[in-house]
Parts: sequence; structure tokens; C-alpha cells
Amino acid sequence: MVERIEDLNLPNTVIARLIKESLPDSANVSKEARAAIARAASVFAIFVTSSSTALAHKQNHKTITAKDILQTLAELDFESFVPSLTQDLEAYRKMVKDKKESKANKKEASTNDNANASEAVVEEATE
Amino acid sequence: MASEDLFQHEFSEEQDLELGQVMETEAVEQVEADEPTEVIEDSEENPPKEAATEKATDKPVTNGEKTSPEHEAKMTQLPMARIRNIMKLDPDMQVANNEAVFAVTRAVELFVASLARESYTYTVQSKKKTIQKRDVEMAISAVDSLLFLDGAMNF
Repeated sequence: MVERIEDLNLPNTVIARLIKESLPDSANVSKEARAAIARAASVFAIFVTSSSTALAHKQNHKTITAKDILQTLAELDFESFVPSLTQDLEAYRKMVKDKKESKANKKEASTNDNANASEAVVEEATE
Repeated sequence: MASEDLFQHEFSEEQDLELGQVMETEAVEQVEADEPTEVIEDSEENPPKEAATEKATDKPVTNGEKTSPEHEAKMTQLPMARIRNIMKLDPDMQVANNEAVFAVTRAVELFVASLARESYTYTVQSKKKTIQKRDVEMAISAVDSLLFLDGAMNF
């Protein structure tokens, strides 16, 4: 749960960076404008969440999924986000999968490593 | 600096109260008024994304087991944990899976970029280079899909 109210603010530095990256190099942002955009972003997150919740409930789902989010965005006139989000989601799924696999591999690898290490010690000793 | 911090905290408290209200009313409106309005968003290119995916592809190889939150954060610039906390403000939300939180986080990032770009068009119109709050407000009132921000932005 949220312990401090600041935990709900989006980090200023990241917002500033996201804004900068979307604009020509010559452009700047005033503090007030940045704060307004950050606030709008928080409101957007809540807006999307509550709309997705409504959508999920309509379909008798308890858990909100990425699919609900994408469908909601399209309904809320943010369908321009959907193609790039779909790509990102694929990358995300792949990353999660790779992570699981590399974890599994690591377990195997570490047992092999131990074996190799003891061999190495033996070799050194014989020299 | 110190005074600014104080201010922000005050604001955020108000903000969250208002946010709660906005949320409830919007949710109701949204269910009732589903018909699509006009699409005004500019075509979205997405510069931060490339960097994010790049990082993501070389991460899994080097990553240890215990750094999973940071690990996921590499694909987004905003912290997913923070977005999840914001999502939990919705009293009707029971569970959102990680993919959903990821999708919202990326959507918020795209939203920030598109609102910045939209605002900047007003900055350019007034022959300036620095986006002022006024430009953001004008962008919000000009774009139909940003109507939900009405009343949530007075601070």
C-alpha cells in the first residue's frame, strides 16, 4: 500500500527526460509546465485504470490484463498508442520468459561451474 | 527549493482527493458514453522505446536473480511500482497483472511525450521556445481525448 503521499507522484527527472526526448533540442520546459504534464500523466494513469476496471468487470474478469488496457486505450481515443504498446508488450513478454530461462540455466550452470572449478584446482595442483 | 517541495506535497494531497473524484465520475461516464469521438492525436513516433528495448535485450544475460524490480524497470523509464500504486487508488481494482502494469506504464510515457508535443505547438505559435503552463492548458482544452483532464488540472 501507499505509505507516503509522495509515493504517488511521478519522478520529476524521468518526466523531464521524457518531455525532452519528445521535443526538438532547442525546446525547453518551464517548471510549471513540467508539473502540469506530470500531473496530467498521473490523472491519465488513473483514468486508464478505472476505465479498464470497468471493462474487466463488464466481462466478469477480476484481473486486469494488458489486453484490457489496450482495448481501453483504443476506446478512449488513444488508439495511436496501441501499435507501439503491442510491440513493447511482446518485448516485455520475451524478457520475462528469457529471465525465467536464464534463471533455470543458471542453476544448471552453477552446478557445472563447481565441477569445473574443482578440476581447475586439480590441474593447478599437478603443475 | 525547500518552499517548492512543501508546495508540491500540498498539491499532491489535494490532487489525490480530486483524482479520486475524477476517477469515479469518469468511470461512470466512460461506461455510458462509449461512442468514439474524433482522433486528434498526432501520429506517434516513439523515440524512448528503442532505447528501452535495446537495454532490455542485453539485460537478461548479465542479470542476477535478486534484481527483478530493477530488471523490469529497464524496459520502462517510469518506475512500474509507482504506477502500480497509482492504479491501486482505484477502489474497484482488485488485481492487475504485471503485463497490465507494464502496459499502463508505457502508455503513460507515450502520453507524456504526446502531451509535450501537443503543448509545444502552442509554444511555437507564440514564437517561444520554452513550454509554459499556459501552452499545456491550451493543448488540453483543444484535444477531445484530453477532456478527462478537465477539472483535474487546477492547482
